[in-house]
Amino acid sequence: MPVTIRMNPSVLIVVLLAGGLNAAPDGAALFQTQCAACHGSRGEGVAGKVDEPLQGKRSLAGLAKYIDRFMPEDHPEKCQGDDANRVAEWIFGAFYSPAARANAQAPRLQLSHLTNEQYRQTVADLFGLFTGRPGEFTGGGLEARYFNAEKMEQRKEHLVDRIDSQIVLDPAVLAGVPKLKPGSFSVTWTGSLFAPETGDYGFRGITENGVKLFLNPLPWREGREEVPVIDGWVSRGDQPRIEEARLFLTGGRPYPVRVQFLAYGQKSASLRFEWKPPGGVWELVPATYLSKSWAPAVAVPTTGFPPDDASQGYERGIAVSNEWFDAVVRASVELADFASQNLDSLAGTKPGAPDRDEKIRTCCVRFAERAFRRPLAEPQRSALLKDFDPENPETTVRELVMRVLCSPRFLYPLPPGAPTDGFATAASLALSLWDSVPDEPLWQAAAKDRLTTAEQIGEQARRMLANPRARHKLNGFFRHWLALGGAERMAKDPKTFPSFDEHLIADLAVSLGLFLDEVVWNGNADYRDLLLADFLHVSPRMAAFYGLPPVAGEGFTKVSLPTAQRAGVLTHPYLMASLAYYKSSSPIHRGVFVTRNVLGRTLKPPPMAIEFMDDRFDPSLTMREKVTQLTSKPACMSCHELINPLGFSLENFDAAGRWRDRDAGKPVDPTGSYPTTQGESLALRGPRDLATQAIASPEASRSFLIQLFQHTVKQAPQAYGPDTVDQLHASFTTDQYHIRNLLARIAATAAAPQPNPATP
Amino acid sequence: MIHSSRRQLLRTLGLSAAALPFTGILRAADPPPAPRRRIVFVFSPNGTVPDEFWPDSPGPDFTFKRILSPLTEFRDRTLLLRGISNKVRGDGDGHMRGMGCMLTGIELLPGNIQGGSDTPAGWASGISFDQELKNHLQSNPATRTRVGSLSLGVAVPNRADPWTRWSYSGANQPITPLDDPSRVFQTLYGGIKDKKTLGSVLDGVAAELRDFAAKAPPADRELLERHLTHVRELERKLQQTDAAPMRHPVPPPDPRLELVNDRIPEISRAQIELLVGAFANDDTRVATIQYTHSVGQARMTWLGIPDAHHSLSHDPDHAKESHEKLVKINQWFAGEIAHLAKRLASIPEADGQGTLLDHTTILWTNELGKGNSHSQDNLPFLLLGGGLGFKTGRVLDLGGIPHNRLWLAIAHALGHPLTTFGKPELCHDGPLPLA
Repeated sequence: MPVTIRMNPSVLIVVLLAGGLNAAPDGAALFQTQCAACHGSRGEGVAGKVDEPLQGKRSLAGLAKYIDRFMPEDHPEKCQGDDANRVAEWIFGAFYSPAARANAQAPRLQLSHLTNEQYRQTVADLFGLFTGRPGEFTGGGLEARYFNAEKMEQRKEHLVDRIDSQIVLDPAVLAGVPKLKPGSFSVTWTGSLFAPETGDYGFRGITENGVKLFLNPLPWREGREEVPVIDGWVSRGDQPRIEEARLFLTGGRPYPVRVQFLAYGQKSASLRFEWKPPGGVWELVPATYLSKSWAPAVAVPTTGFPPDDASQGYERGIAVSNEWFDAVVRASVELADFASQNLDSLAGTKPGAPDRDEKIRTCCVRFAERAFRRPLAEPQRSALLKDFDPENPETTVRELVMRVLCSPRFLYPLPPGAPTDGFATAASLALSLWDSVPDEPLWQAAAKDRLTTAEQIGEQARRMLANPRARHKLNGFFRHWLALGGAERMAKDPKTFPSFDEHLIADLAVSLGLFLDEVVWNGNADYRDLLLADFLHVSPRMAAFYGLPPVAGEGFTKVSLPTAQRAGVLTHPYLMASLAYYKSSSPIHRGVFVTRNVLGRTLKPPPMAIEFMDDRFDPSLTMREKVTQLTSKPACMSCHELINPLGFSLENFDAAGRWRDRDAGKPVDPTGSYPTTQGESLALRGPRDLATQAIASPEASRSFLIQLFQHTVKQAPQAYGPDTVDQLHASFTTDQYHIRNLLARIAATAAAPQPNPATP
Repeated sequence: MIHSSRRQLLRTLGLSAAALPFTGILRAADPPPAPRRRIVFVFSPNGTVPDEFWPDSPGPDFTFKRILSPLTEFRDRTLLLRGISNKVRGDGDGHMRGMGCMLTGIELLPGNIQGGSDTPAGWASGISFDQELKNHLQSNPATRTRVGSLSLGVAVPNRADPWTRWSYSGANQPITPLDDPSRVFQTLYGGIKDKKTLGSVLDGVAAELRDFAAKAPPADRELLERHLTHVRELERKLQQTDAAPMRHPVPPPDPRLELVNDRIPEISRAQIELLVGAFANDDTRVATIQYTHSVGQARMTWLGIPDAHHSLSHDPDHAKESHEKLVKINQWFAGEIAHLAKRLASIPEADGQGTLLDHTTILWTNELGKGNSHSQDNLPFLLLGGGLGFKTGRVLDLGGIPHNRLWLAIAHALGHPLTTFGKPELCHDGPLPLA
């Protein structure tokens, strides 16, 4: 096809003439006469008519069929049959298809600064290089030591040491400690606490006695005792009270924790130690997040950063605003204080040590090298330390840390003009898989020139997947892929769904997390299981609400459900409830989600904003009937012919994600016919069918791959070569759709040495 | 008590980014109108040694005994108040009540903290007098200062209980004294120091950005240009906030000063220097300095006394050696008071009307009258300086009145005519006449 035609009036005339001679106008000419008025002469759009460019993922046949049925919008009968085929052919080759767009403008690697999450993970790991590695986080609870107290001796008589899975003192617990004096005793719990997500955490002790919480203690000066986050040591009479604090934590890592309790001369003793993780509810800290293992303090800046740019559907560091730069400076001051105040322990020395100076200098160089992600050559090394003041190393270090953390070399992890060597590869791998900087083994691999071949890079990528940071990163992807941002704040009509409260929502979130963990990290990591698996993790609260068989115990039980009702994440009640209205299901939200996120098809923004107002409809109509009525106009149906059948296939799930057979007193009809990109019609008979069709669709798995790539690398995959997606997709398919291997391959692809962007 | 996170904690300590220069320490170029009146409450623990503290007889004709001998040059500016008792009773042992009820004048709440005797107790049930004065002065634009009040400590353990806190912003709200000179400096002047550092950091950032832009493909240059614009913007802001220089420049304390027992003399002097600076710059007019804590166990090795202070204070009167050591310990505290007075007397007021000491009163007291009896009578109240307009150069014996009435007298002298403070029953007969 002549895809390079530049439309100017003279060419147009030639084309028209040529068309005239052949008696049938060719596609380009047809487009100009029938379509260009709204779409622009190159499909770029016309302000006030069709704003967005004419692009999409339909196959040529699908596009032709679509034009045949719906275009031009006001007179679909004017372009049908062969005309529709010819127009479709021209559009497809000229600008519509992904291939045409890739030829026209290949995406390039875009210079980006660290995203907020990358900044937080990076500084935590940078300082972590000097604070030691945490022990293996096993979960299960904290180490508890119980003592009887007498007057000023809070540890007068040692009673027992044990592991407590939860930090709670109630009559049953107290009865379990022999010889305990109920009104006068002390307990200390120690170990580490895992923060699953980045954000604000609430902590509180509910007690009539004394409670202290030390969490991630950062002493102001070395040698001082740590400052408690909660200091409720002194009780106030015998009334239970709430001692509460909030703390911002960087997710995906353990923090050192110690909880202390004291009852003395009091009538009663009790404690509930609870947390409220980001988006969660107040609850006893679950044992999964408590471990007796040791963890070092983590550098966590409290400065808030403005949100990252997400205009392309994934977060990346291309927004440079005043607020961002301000946050960079403020955070650097906070971290500089942290470094200068903890200098001796970070540098592994102590005041007065003969080699203190030397150790601090070494520490400074190592810090800068790791922050800049490559070794410093001699002149840079001297420049870094040229202001080093042996009389006052704290001040020097403070300034140096500010200098390093404000430096573009730190903020732009893959800077222009940097050599394409092993260190660049290592930096890219660490960013992709951990949002962070290389750890020691990765750094050493780069230093020893063992990051050159695809095998070497792949080997490192696979090693890095075993680190909890990789899991943290992948969790972030799933939140994004499943559009769960803000889902924890959903609300349902309390009359229709009496016990759908914040606790149930929190359970649903955990349940989905457990499902993803099971599929991605425990099993074959098969992408198809994400959509097809028949099991669900059920809490007692969920069992009661969803009418499932009762489950034993407090926690979650993995239950297999009838396959007709269960299809992986697609039918998970958390997702179904979040993609629904206050009182009713929403086939449109569900359909749009499936179309875009699962099947990877593009949708234009709606031509007009129509609010769904339930009370405008005859109450005897089913939701399906209402939506059909609402979207019946041709202008709507150009997208809703796709959206509606997909949404309708999930109509067996009500607004809370509960299975139903009837809606508005009539049987639910989940069947429909869905037009594929190939222009075929596929029959859908319900959720299971939907999932089966999705996993059979190469577009869906490609789309999953592209979204994962974007989230991981924060660049367009095509920027790494026009065949990148094809190659990754081919290996994904032959590899039984193994998600973890795909992730490793994506990271390795992005980390492979790239040609240097052309210098001007 | 709700700490809204470390962020809040840091903010309270003045450490957060709020201390950055571009959010501003802006200083008035002209000093506010006179008269300024200032007060600093100084605490030392474990009772005094009465026979070496109190002059032999009341009245204007007295000579200092050994403990107060370091203050000889300030004899005429000193007012000694004998016969004042802490009459607040209730939960807690003598040390606890001596500490927690001193500045608050009201009972401790019931609690779980148990001393060697009496009943367990919790925090004080009211605001402390220094904070009451601060709130009063801050409510009036003419007396408002940048910081409002400064709660300093010397060798205070990092442990919050009724023995370690004497200042309260309200019932159940003890204030943590700042016992690290570097932290005090950061709180007061951190922004100024950061500004210089930041200026040099930004120079480096701008140079690197220009280097990047030269190497970057054209499409990426816009991002770097924008980054550079923000760097220049911040540089400009830094220059704009160049405010009037501090009238009394305060050098940063030695960052290597370790916060350990043997460094107490240096810590004390560093804190005094910061306090004098804060007064000279009119950053605050109310302050407290807390030496160790009630039941404090300082070992004054620099005086050749390796024994722990509180343990010594329990020895009987006839134990000559301990008696001698306790005299030396209390004399050391008097020496610090004298040093503070000397520093205040050496700095002229901004308006040229006398020195800082002419408008500052140092009030030194203790949680006990006598250590081995845990008596709360004859608390050693010493007032020095001209901040309140009281008649100095005399010793008064007030015969056992509640200390709440002293707070009323000070409040009245500072233009805050309270009728009661703390426990109302202890305020009968109103402010002590001291003018």
